[in-house]
Amino acid sequence: MATGAPRPPNRARGYSAAVGFYRIMRSNPLSFAGFVLVVAILVLAAASTLDPRLVAPYGASQQTGVYSEPPTILRGSPSLQHPFGTDGGSLDIYSEVMLGLPLDVGIGVLIAGLAMILGGLLGLVAGFWDRPGTVGGYASTVILRTTDVFLAFPSLILGLAIVAALGPGVWQVILAVTATWWPYYVRLVRGEVLAIRHLPYVVAARAAGVSEGRILVRHILRNVLEPLIVYFTLDIGTVLVTFSTISYVIPQGIPYPPTFGRPEWGSMMSYYYGNTLFSQAWWSIIFPAVAIFVTALSFSLLGEGLRDVLDPRMRRALTESTVGHTPPAETPSSPVPGPLSEAG
Amino acid sequence: MGRSLEDLAIFVGRRLLQLVPVLLGVIVLTFLVTHVGAIDPCPRWYPKAGAGTIAHCEAQFKQPIVTQFLQYFVPLLHGSWGADEFGNPVYPQIVAHVPATIELVLASLLIMIVIGIPMGVVAAQYSGRWPDHLVRFFYLSGWATPTYVGAIVAAIYVARFVGLPAGGEFSAPPPFPQYTHMSVVDALLAGNLSYTVDAISHLVLPASVLAFINMGIATRMTRTSMLEVLPLDYVKSARMKGLSNTVVLYKHALRNALITTTTVLGVTAGGLLAGTVVIEEVFDWPGIGQYAFSAMGAGGVPNFDGAIAVVVVFALGVVIANLAADVLYGVLDPRVEWR
Amino acid sequence: MTDPVLSIEHLSVDYLVAAGRFRAVSDVSLTIPPGRVVGIVGETGCGKSTLAQAIPRLIPEPPAKIESGRILFQGTDLVPIPHHKLPMVRGTGIGMIFQEPLNSLNPAFRVFDQVAEAIQIRHWREQGILPTFRPGPTPFDYSRRPMPTASDVLAKPLVPGGAVAEAAQRRLRTRADFRREVLEYLRLVRINDPETILDLYPHELSGGMRQRIMIAMALSAKPALLIADEPTSALDVTIQAQVLTLMKELIDEVHSSILFISHDLGVIAETADDLGVMYAGRLVEFGPVADVFHAPRHPYTKALLRSIPSRYKTDGPLASIPGSVPSLARPPPGCRFHPRCPLVRPVCRADPAPELLPAPGGAPPGATPHTSACHFAEEVSNLP
Repeated sequence: MATGAPRPPNRARGYSAAVGFYRIMRSNPLSFAGFVLVVAILVLAAASTLDPRLVAPYGASQQTGVYSEPPTILRGSPSLQHPFGTDGGSLDIYSEVMLGLPLDVGIGVLIAGLAMILGGLLGLVAGFWDRPGTVGGYASTVILRTTDVFLAFPSLILGLAIVAALGPGVWQVILAVTATWWPYYVRLVRGEVLAIRHLPYVVAARAAGVSEGRILVRHILRNVLEPLIVYFTLDIGTVLVTFSTISYVIPQGIPYPPTFGRPEWGSMMSYYYGNTLFSQAWWSIIFPAVAIFVTALSFSLLGEGLRDVLDPRMRRALTESTVGHTPPAETPSSPVPGPLSEAG
Repeated sequence: MGRSLEDLAIFVGRRLLQLVPVLLGVIVLTFLVTHVGAIDPCPRWYPKAGAGTIAHCEAQFKQPIVTQFLQYFVPLLHGSWGADEFGNPVYPQIVAHVPATIELVLASLLIMIVIGIPMGVVAAQYSGRWPDHLVRFFYLSGWATPTYVGAIVAAIYVARFVGLPAGGEFSAPPPFPQYTHMSVVDALLAGNLSYTVDAISHLVLPASVLAFINMGIATRMTRTSMLEVLPLDYVKSARMKGLSNTVVLYKHALRNALITTTTVLGVTAGGLLAGTVVIEEVFDWPGIGQYAFSAMGAGGVPNFDGAIAVVVVFALGVVIANLAADVLYGVLDPRVEWR
Repeated sequence: MTDPVLSIEHLSVDYLVAAGRFRAVSDVSLTIPPGRVVGIVGETGCGKSTLAQAIPRLIPEPPAKIESGRILFQGTDLVPIPHHKLPMVRGTGIGMIFQEPLNSLNPAFRVFDQVAEAIQIRHWREQGILPTFRPGPTPFDYSRRPMPTASDVLAKPLVPGGAVAEAAQRRLRTRADFRREVLEYLRLVRINDPETILDLYPHELSGGMRQRIMIAMALSAKPALLIADEPTSALDVTIQAQVLTLMKELIDEVHSSILFISHDLGVIAETADDLGVMYAGRLVEFGPVADVFHAPRHPYTKALLRSIPSRYKTDGPLASIPGSVPSLARPPPGCRFHPRCPLVRPVCRADPAPELLPAPGGAPPGATPHTSACHFAEEVSNLP
């Protein structure tokens, strides 16, 4: 029996993905909020990088030397002119937070990106070339054992150890967090690659004589990319939180006032927590914390929304046109573990 | 078939054997990071020391790597884990601090299971509607909160609001001997009811903050597994027997969904242990985390041997948690054969 | 008892998803008298599974919605009943068996526990401990072979009678009693040596065995109506034959009504008394199974029967129905089959297909009327 109208051609896949993305964003208030917030954050970060005076009216970071106007109230709880208060000295907290925005977002993206690339490549090797008795198999075993060892350390602990070994400084902390994060990507990518490798259409392609390289690029990479992007987005937030926790525990981790050109939120917090009485100037500690929280939450919300977009069940329900659709009750119910199932 | 008690012993035994190479790897990696990868360690680890100590330290680091490793590894096995700057041996200090952390972690786990898993079930049940959004927002917020922010906010504001104490294990030093060094257990063993209540009230806030921050792991996994399980036919079969919705969800569906949830137990343990570093510091909880915090130099006096030992102990904890997760998975899923 | 067990009146079920609104079941009406086996046959996607699962309100209501109609089970409309009261209907009122035996038994529990759970619920309802849909004894006398119950065995030697006997009857049964009853039901579904499988898990059993256990589970609740949603479609042919034989023998013994859903015409022909044919969400023909097979009154049924490969006709191409099944979101105007129908006339495109119309002259008294949703039902017999 005929099954219905023909499937949409491949080039429409991008369109239906965009339509699906929009539908998900609209249907799920959480991911919509995340999307809007992330866009806002990125815009603010861009503004803060290009022309700090746009967003930081009292930007007083010594390195950027952006003094548009000196603060009007020296000892200040939050007020109209200084929404986040001042630190009792020459710094307006709001401006400091805004100046630090591109730095922290950049750090999060950088660390997550480095971990993704490093871990992803290793995971690809460990998944694609893992055949017993070959060089690839041997390399895979080495990679996997190393990953297991790294994963045995809680991220924070390993990060602290590395910072303790390398000394304080932004780059050291970045290296430390990257070193603790890449193993998760190895597991993720390897799992996906293994699952896809054994899917019937990949096996069929190989049997039809398609070269390994083409299989790698066309089938495997394309399918791996989707969960990878989801985890990358989710990780930006978590990485930022870990990063700031390390800079809190190691007090000389990242010095504040900044020597890197812009204030980093975690270092702001640890500086003020150590140097001011909480009850007297809570705003100098709370607002950078809120900034970290909102940034991390926004990326996490966006990531969860992306995860919903890429879940094949939801994607089908939301993007498939009304052509030849079978209602859910009719499809066979045996579960097939999809490549996008939850990884570690 | 293949699931008798002897088979279980073999199953656990085999997993224990697999522990060993990972533990070795952990020890080696810790050594590599702290000894080989260290940049200019001596002045940083002994900031208040005199020139003699620094010279001694530098001499130690100049030795060949293998010698350094043996100097590090062999005492590790013997249980003499070095000493801090004042000569107090590390090993007994760690042993004294571990139980309090175990107590804290177990309490957090309990909160995560009791609150987090039903939240995941509710989120799956009402998937796409406002309870789902609420649950997701809740655990995403937990994840987005840096540990110290949550701890400080809880200790300063929530404690006052709710009336719970926010520091230490007891309000006053306990009059009974502490055998297990776990506050609640010791108070119970001594039969002292008021101190038991006091100990529990001191445990609530730190455990809750730790649980809140890590709740997402359990809740999200439960939600995902439940979403996979709920459309399956056996859930419909259970409904068609005439069972109420609660029984169907919690007895039939959750039982299968929990199988995959156990696989994230290792990650959960890692997150909980990492969180103890800050939580114990803020709440003045005398556990390994507090010890690690000071060993890392936060209090101004770093402790080289202590830091190394703490790192190894934390990794050991994660490895044990992974082992427990593996065994639990094998027990819960009847399809896994133990032999 | 002449009141029908199940009476569906103009039922329509929609699926609301973001991509649109699909009407999976469209204005379906049918009646199931007590003790009859009613078959529903149709292609994949015609709505028969949706119909089957909508009756006990099993489809999750957020994507699905019963748009209109009534589902009268023993006289009570199930549509307006709130969800938390629905478990009372299921089990002893309506039972169901599913297609995939691997997925319909809980993989985490042993066979004994799963069957015993169903018996436990029925027992609690009989004792009045749990609220039931219809108070009192089970609606039908289950079997010609009365089963030993624990209360019978207990009451006799120990208890003289009266109030004490009643108290003994209400006593919760022991595991041994449950075991006895579980074994009886497993033997009922022709499992030899059922003691050996009591402690096994579903994944340790074969598909045919699992299907029998599912049937045992459903029957142990002594339902008034048993819905079989493609119970043999996932089994290979030899097991399928065994399970069908079992079901036919059970039908003789058990007085439940059965609603048998299948896409396999042969299976339906063997088991059903009455047959309904569904197409694109609508019921297009309904009648006694022999009449529908030998004298179909709807062009779709005729085409369906014609497309069955015959081992006697070895030359020429296989017959099929031209065109394809329409989308349920945008069904064709008028009669849904009209784009593919050999009897199509202008009225078919314009007006919706009629309600099921009986043959002129009426049906023999007591028999199910043979109805068809075609304006030109009489001409169907002229088709090749």
